[in-house]
Amino acid sequence: MFLSASDIQSIFLTLRLAALVTAILYFLGIPMAWWLARSRSRWRGPINAVVALPLVLPPSVLGFYLLLTMGPHGPVGKLTEALGLGLLPFTFPGLVVASVFYSLPFMVQPVQNAFAAMGERPLEAAATLGASPLDAFFTVALPLARPGLLTAGIMTFAHTIGEFGVVLMIGGNLPGVSRVVSVQIYDHVEALEYAQAHRLAAVMLIFSFVVLMILQRWRPKNGQGGA
Amino acid sequence: MEEIAARFALTYPGFNLDVDLHLPGRGITALFGHSGSGKTTLLRLIAGLARTENGRLTFRGQVWQDEDTWLPTHRRPLGYVFQDANLLEHLSVAGNLQYGAKRSCGRQVNLDAAIELLGIGHLLERKPAQLSGGEGQRVAIARALSTAPSLLLMDEPLASLDLTRKQEILPYLERLHRELAIPVLYVSHAPDEVARLADHLVVMAEGRVVADGPLAETLARTDLPVRLGEEAGVVVEAVIVERDSSWQLLRLGFGAENILWCRDSGQLLGSRVRVRVLARDVAISLSRPQDSSVQNLLAGRIEAIANDEHPGLALIRVQVGKTPFLSRLTRRAVDTLALKVEREVWVQVKTVALLDQT
Amino acid sequence: MKPKKNIQVFRTALLGITLLAGMLVSVGQARAEKITVAAAADLKFAMNEIVAAYKKSNPTDEVDVVYGSSGKFHTQIQQGAPYDLYFSADIAYPRELAKAGFSAFEVKPYALGRIVLWSATLDATKMTLANLTDPKISRIAIANPKHAPYGKRAQEAFIASGLWEKVEPKLVYGENIAHTAQFVQTGNAQAGIIALSLALNPELSGKGGYWLIPDKLHAPLEQGFIITKRAAGNPLAKRFAEYMGSQAARALMVKYGFVLPGEK
Repeated sequence: MFLSASDIQSIFLTLRLAALVTAILYFLGIPMAWWLARSRSRWRGPINAVVALPLVLPPSVLGFYLLLTMGPHGPVGKLTEALGLGLLPFTFPGLVVASVFYSLPFMVQPVQNAFAAMGERPLEAAATLGASPLDAFFTVALPLARPGLLTAGIMTFAHTIGEFGVVLMIGGNLPGVSRVVSVQIYDHVEALEYAQAHRLAAVMLIFSFVVLMILQRWRPKNGQGGA
Repeated sequence: MEEIAARFALTYPGFNLDVDLHLPGRGITALFGHSGSGKTTLLRLIAGLARTENGRLTFRGQVWQDEDTWLPTHRRPLGYVFQDANLLEHLSVAGNLQYGAKRSCGRQVNLDAAIELLGIGHLLERKPAQLSGGEGQRVAIARALSTAPSLLLMDEPLASLDLTRKQEILPYLERLHRELAIPVLYVSHAPDEVARLADHLVVMAEGRVVADGPLAETLARTDLPVRLGEEAGVVVEAVIVERDSSWQLLRLGFGAENILWCRDSGQLLGSRVRVRVLARDVAISLSRPQDSSVQNLLAGRIEAIANDEHPGLALIRVQVGKTPFLSRLTRRAVDTLALKVEREVWVQVKTVALLDQT
Repeated sequence: MKPKKNIQVFRTALLGITLLAGMLVSVGQARAEKITVAAAADLKFAMNEIVAAYKKSNPTDEVDVVYGSSGKFHTQIQQGAPYDLYFSADIAYPRELAKAGFSAFEVKPYALGRIVLWSATLDATKMTLANLTDPKISRIAIANPKHAPYGKRAQEAFIASGLWEKVEPKLVYGENIAHTAQFVQTGNAQAGIIALSLALNPELSGKGGYWLIPDKLHAPLEQGFIITKRAAGNPLAKRFAEYMGSQAARALMVKYGFVLPGEK
């Protein structure tokens, strides 16, 4: 067989993680992007910087802090234990939480840029046509930001799939829970199983290439003001 | 008659707005002034798109803004036409129109009438990006009407268009003027648009209202700090009383017994028209000229003599019956003819521009 | 206006980075005698002290140490990584490299490693492997047995004690032995199996305690090192390799719980 059962398990785990993280980030990221694109609060700058942190922070730093905060002595760990949820490291939900942090800028920034680029004017037009701000958000801002939303979704999904450092730091390398494709490839390489590593790595390579091709196709299309 | 009362004070760095206006509840009121005079800001304050704490606005007795009240834009029964069409790019023309119609808060909307009025029936399926500037602006006007507004606000709807496009839209605006029962506030810095469309004129300069009154009266004032320069002139409401087919001319009657001749461009006999007479096209003589090429001769009396922009020029207001005319003369001519207020004179009108084109 | 300014800022930044990079490169070139040592993570504390002691007697020599998993270094050296010496936690890796011609000399065994049961929160001195079946212990960290020698030995110890089926669901796998210790140190795993050399380090020994796992439960953790092919003519690499056999270095190895070849 081309891929082993554990390879396929890791692929499905990775896809499940990426899909869940993307969905959660749509809920969290869009309101954040909206606020960041329009607020004049003095908190805007600091929060913008915090959102962008995962872009520059080594994943090991992020993973280390997550391991500390979600551990039994950390604030998040104490909270999840008090809520009867147990500890998050070495669990799939823990991985989801970590990935949400890690992929946050990939969701927020494209959406924020889309909102900022459309400016106030379409919203003013909507207001003069009787649309409340919430109404205008759903019927004008979101549809106009659609290219940005799609880019953000694809980037978030792809980035979560490619995530390695944070997963390694807090995942514990558990099959079906935290052994995602990137970790699986790493294990293959470490165990000198180069053939298996090659196959799985090729799958990742093709996937990434296809994603980038899709993104390329999208851009010129919406630039012409069509769909 | 007074249905809009607006009082606003606003300070931006380098700009002060301080107005207290009472505007009529029908017809087109032009907010006229140079750029930076505050007319667009005033319009945005009335629409609720801009906000100042220091303001009070009532429309037909309903408070839109005062110390305790703030009606957000989407709750004000108004239509707004932006300087550039500002259509919603993701919707078709029909989608843009329906967007407003769906949110008209139960007011009776006649979309078909708006579509017919602006002649956009053939554009409904198009996306905004596929419209020309003029078409886009017509759609924008129809869209502003799609909410069945009680007040229409227009922010220089022609300013972003070239002359040809302007000529394409002006007839639609004139139809709007004739057929629309709601008051319109029309921001413009173009005297010809104002002369053609407005019933009431508010002249603004540096954030203040410097003149406010019926169009003909206000245009004929010689004391406005905002000069119209080459465009200074008056507007005369007249009726077509005779068609002279042999000379291709129309005879226009105004006031009790005054007449003007102008080129025949096919208007119906008996229709009401608006003509514009620029100050530079009006000459004055002390006695009735016998051998002048100018055919339009009117007897009147000098009401005022004022300084014009150039120190060598003067602006003379002559009352012909109940209609004021403006004439631009050199100071030297005023001196040579010894023109004075109260003096009876002959007015020679060289060019008469018929504004309505039906 | 603005884009122009941005370009200027960009240019200035680029110039700055170029200058800085140039300075760093030239500083690097100024130091002639230098070796890079790749060492298994279990050596971290012992090797740090050995290098410090070595540099006291040879102040002009430059010795850089990189710590990580033995398997990773093995792969990297095969791909031409610039390591001069390679200290593996499992002698099998350097042997394989030597067979493939990546070694300048013979593989030299330098120590036997020991594994311990360690906890940061519980007193592990009073525990044995059997205590790990206690339901109160929900997570046990070991190094990944797939490629980390200490993980392989931990797995063997569990199997030899007949506990493997019971503890396997609780296991989480660290990338290397230091990473495994980190899981335990942060409390995310209540117990773990790590190298004795790490448990003896002051940073970890202050907490909880350890229980030495009998060496009859697992195959010996024979550790060996090589001088890589690229360092064949490097006198410093040879000097440092010889220093590993000195009394001072051996004492430090013993201090960190390593059993030395030829001793018991």
